[in-house]
Amino acid sequence: MADLLFCSHYPFSSAAKAHVSERRMEIVSSYVEKAEGRVREAIVSGKVGKVPALSEAQEEELALYAIARMIVSCANNRYLINRYAVAEAKKTGSYLSSDASAHPEYVDAVAAEFGIKFEKAGALFLVPLGKYLTYTPRSIDYKLANREVAAGKVKVSSHERVRILEEAVRKKIERELPIRAAFPGEVKAAGARVLALLPKLEANVVKVGQENYPPCVNRMIEELALNVNLPHTARVALGIYLVKAGMPTDRILGIFRSAPDFSEKTTRYQVEYLRTKGYSMPSCSTMDSYGACVAECRCGTPLNYRTNVHGRALKKEEETK
Amino acid sequence: MSGLVQSSEEKFLRKKFSDYYGASSVSVRGLEKREFGVGGWEKKIEFRHLAFKNENELRARLVAEAPLYISHSVAYYEFPDARPMPRKNWEGSDLIFDLDTEAHSCGKFTCQKCLDGVKQDAIKLIEEFLLPDFGFSKSELAVNFSGSRGYHVHVVSDAVYDLGREARREIADYVSGTGLSFERLFWNEGKKFFGPTPGQGGFGGKFARAFLAKLDDDAFAISIARKLKKPEEREKLKSSIGRGNWDNIGIANREKKLGEKFDEMKLTMAGRIDANVTADTSKLIRMPDSLHGGSGFAAKRLASPDAIASFEPMRSAAVFGSKPLRVKATEAIPALNIQDFSFGPFGAGEARELPEACAVYLLCKKAAVLA
Repeated sequence: MADLLFCSHYPFSSAAKAHVSERRMEIVSSYVEKAEGRVREAIVSGKVGKVPALSEAQEEELALYAIARMIVSCANNRYLINRYAVAEAKKTGSYLSSDASAHPEYVDAVAAEFGIKFEKAGALFLVPLGKYLTYTPRSIDYKLANREVAAGKVKVSSHERVRILEEAVRKKIERELPIRAAFPGEVKAAGARVLALLPKLEANVVKVGQENYPPCVNRMIEELALNVNLPHTARVALGIYLVKAGMPTDRILGIFRSAPDFSEKTTRYQVEYLRTKGYSMPSCSTMDSYGACVAECRCGTPLNYRTNVHGRALKKEEETK
Repeated sequence: MSGLVQSSEEKFLRKKFSDYYGASSVSVRGLEKREFGVGGWEKKIEFRHLAFKNENELRARLVAEAPLYISHSVAYYEFPDARPMPRKNWEGSDLIFDLDTEAHSCGKFTCQKCLDGVKQDAIKLIEEFLLPDFGFSKSELAVNFSGSRGYHVHVVSDAVYDLGREARREIADYVSGTGLSFERLFWNEGKKFFGPTPGQGGFGGKFARAFLAKLDDDAFAISIARKLKKPEEREKLKSSIGRGNWDNIGIANREKKLGEKFDEMKLTMAGRIDANVTADTSKLIRMPDSLHGGSGFAAKRLASPDAIASFEPMRSAAVFGSKPLRVKATEAIPALNIQDFSFGPFGAGEARELPEACAVYLLCKKAAVLA
């Protein structure tokens, strides 16, 4: 199966990895430059170009993919990594769509990378429930209640099959990066240049002075900024906290804006609802049971964090003055 | 357990619970990977993050401390007693469905009608969702009485072991029909009106099958279209629906009508399961076969999912026997039947000698004191 065409289309695959480690690829300057271009294009325009069908270009593609990962790892920023992963996944999707007719065995091989076996059912496919739930985007179209579900399998179209694999690739890249290793100076420099793109990209995300917030609240704000889909319980807790911290509704909306399923109307209603109902903040142990507690600050409730922890620190600072 | 002063009722119950645990064995699947939580007179979970190496250690604690409630995590962790939660290193979870009686409609005492209702819900969950739709096998399902008025269905399967909260929420949403858009099941093609076939999966197939079965009912058929009074018209519509064509007779207002029928058929389990429990990968759930401090009943583990049909909680979940015990009611007691012994109604302040199983029930309900 390890043909070069397959490897160049799917450089994340184990076949491609095996191919690269056999070749003992070297990191040359011209490659680093090209790989940097690849990363820039991925995070700025959300695209990664396709590979010309020449064996040289295909070999190069594998090298560029590997170096691009190193550059992104050096930049080491979650937002960049996620944008990069989306672009690589889209490219995979476009290859899968064309390979579905030209090389149907390629699609099966990519699916096998994620332990997925699609069963053919007429013009459609059946995917096991667990894989469907893990790898489908969250949208009304994929809502399980609107799907044909029987015997532990969900029916999907060939387009949806590609979409599921795209999502699997995105998650895999997000999970694997950053790679922690010592990289050559050239690669590090490229990483720094890529990181410098960041302020322009992040302009639309609300920045909050986070230093005073408890670690659990900081974590939730960070995750939202990275387009992570917070569970409902965490969103409610964050909403209550920000309301209690005296933040106006419009700024709270700014924080929730980067949630993948953000709707201004719904969120505004919900925040106002929390405000008028005057809900009390979940205690630390409740936060812990939500899986939202990330540190042991011993405050009882996240609301005490500022006075307890910062209060102590401030006092100490004043005393030593 | 704590330094608080215990009432004589609490002391008595803890002694009874301790005797029970001393005389019975405990078994928990994957015990050493579970987090445990115990509770007392005031709170169902007072202490959590507990872990036990084996069944003997767990049983010793139950006998020594006799908690009024004991729960274990639906999750399996590498370090179940570590804190905070992320340090436990989550490995996977059972998938749980929590069924309770409808909105506690009959107050604090358990009523037979409610128990029968929730039993039917549990059977519907298993027979119409878990087995046919999700494809679980009966051997992957463990059903137990909650110890109070509901049932817990535990799905132990590799197919769901490592699913996260969002995926589990989707499963709960499916069962309760949350986010279901009925109109998506139908579409127009020219003058034709297409919809689900009886052979297909999901709610489309459920609706088609239920609809076809209902067409045999005269009132139902006529409420769709007067023309369907004639059996031959009915048969024609049936075979047309079998091919996915839902209107060969010109049904007036068909989208609206079908939508209403769908709601009437109650094919979803909306409001019948607690979606938060299903979605929560670190939920603490009543330990099967442990005692419930709010009733004195055991959270009986059923021998198989089929055993639920003949399970009668008021008879089989009460574990204390018929030794007489004198208690005094602190509020009005309705007519009740526990272990085939009928008692009540009687008023607040009245004392009665009752079989222990019944007396323990009233003490646990905090509706009586020792007399």
